[in-house]
Amino acid sequence: MKPLHYLTLVLVILALIIALVPQNTTRPYKLTAEQLLAEIRTGTQFVSPDEVADKIVQKDPSIQLIDVRNPREFDMFSLQGAINIPLQDILSENNFDILNQGTKMNIFYSNGSTEANEAWMLTRQLGYQNNYVLQGGLNYWMETILNPLKPESIISNDEIARYDFRKAASMALGGGDASSMAPASSPASATPKPGVVPVKKKKKASGGC
Amino acid sequence: MGPLAVNEIISSNTNFFLAFVIGIGFGFVLEQSGFSSSRKLAGLFYGYDMVVLKVFFTGGVTAMLGLLFFSLFGWVDLNLVYVNPTFLTSAIVGGLIMGAGFIMGGFCPGTSFCGAAIGKLDAMIFIVGLFIGVYLFAFGYPLFETLYKSAPMGSPKISTMLDLSDGVFALILVVVAVGLFYGSEWVEKRFPREEY
Repeated sequence: MKPLHYLTLVLVILALIIALVPQNTTRPYKLTAEQLLAEIRTGTQFVSPDEVADKIVQKDPSIQLIDVRNPREFDMFSLQGAINIPLQDILSENNFDILNQGTKMNIFYSNGSTEANEAWMLTRQLGYQNNYVLQGGLNYWMETILNPLKPESIISNDEIARYDFRKAASMALGGGDASSMAPASSPASATPKPGVVPVKKKKKASGGC
Repeated sequence: MGPLAVNEIISSNTNFFLAFVIGIGFGFVLEQSGFSSSRKLAGLFYGYDMVVLKVFFTGGVTAMLGLLFFSLFGWVDLNLVYVNPTFLTSAIVGGLIMGAGFIMGGFCPGTSFCGAAIGKLDAMIFIVGLFIGVYLFAFGYPLFETLYKSAPMGSPKISTMLDLSDGVFALILVVVAVGLFYGSEWVEKRFPREEY
């Protein structure tokens, strides 16, 4: 057989294979820089502390809190039910099943929100689903949930309801005790009444999930 | 995984080194296939030797199939492969100028360096002419700018324009290439030249 016949045969067979298989559209990186920027600007990844507190109090099984600080800080103080995945281990294979799954809502938190946001950006860019960030991190958590400031009396009923909820959540989640070890702690301003069982509020439609 | 340099698996210096090695290989293959002979190149236009068409079409089709298979295996992300943007008018005008230079000089830019490397004087003269052209274009750029930048089309793919999958378009192109191979065999028999 002439070399040209061989060449023809090989090329046509290969081309037939490539024409018949579906195109590979999987990409290691899921978002373009513009898409990621748009998500960051709209802040869809943030979950408010109130929402998280509510879920912790309800013992909502659908959330998984992930502490991205280092293990020493995690041992000193962590949120109830949180697991520790330090930021430097976020790409480790052991954590793959936790970070890339379709059932639970992962909420990253750190002291501020920088490290948690970094963890979110990495996992988002890898195309993992259901990862979110605790808005404001633990510092804001301390301010709003564990040591809520009593609102001015002229403030709207909504604000007062939120304050009551925060006080109750603080009680349930051990406010005051933790504040001594917690970052950016401030003295407890109000001692919550003992024995208050937080009542599940009507949830407002909000971003995040 | 790939492209290696874009995904920073290799540094840009390593990338340049690989380009250097591949460039030497490319030049070697060109010379060995007889592309340093301007008679062989001109043969394409007169029909007595179609090897240029066969070699370049084989190269293109092989690279196309290779990239598609690499993409299928997940070895290369085709979205990250750089594609030269198309400016339709300047592509047509440039193609005509290059074609005219090709048939008059008997070389294309790559093969002229091949020829010069084995000491061909006409190839060296061709390179001088090539640089004159480069300087004319560079210094006259304000004159050509409108033409140069007209009809920008981004980086279009013919498969997307025809609404075909890349694989189906590849098959069509391979069939066209094979047709051209047999067609050029026929042309070579039709316009034979004994010695050149």
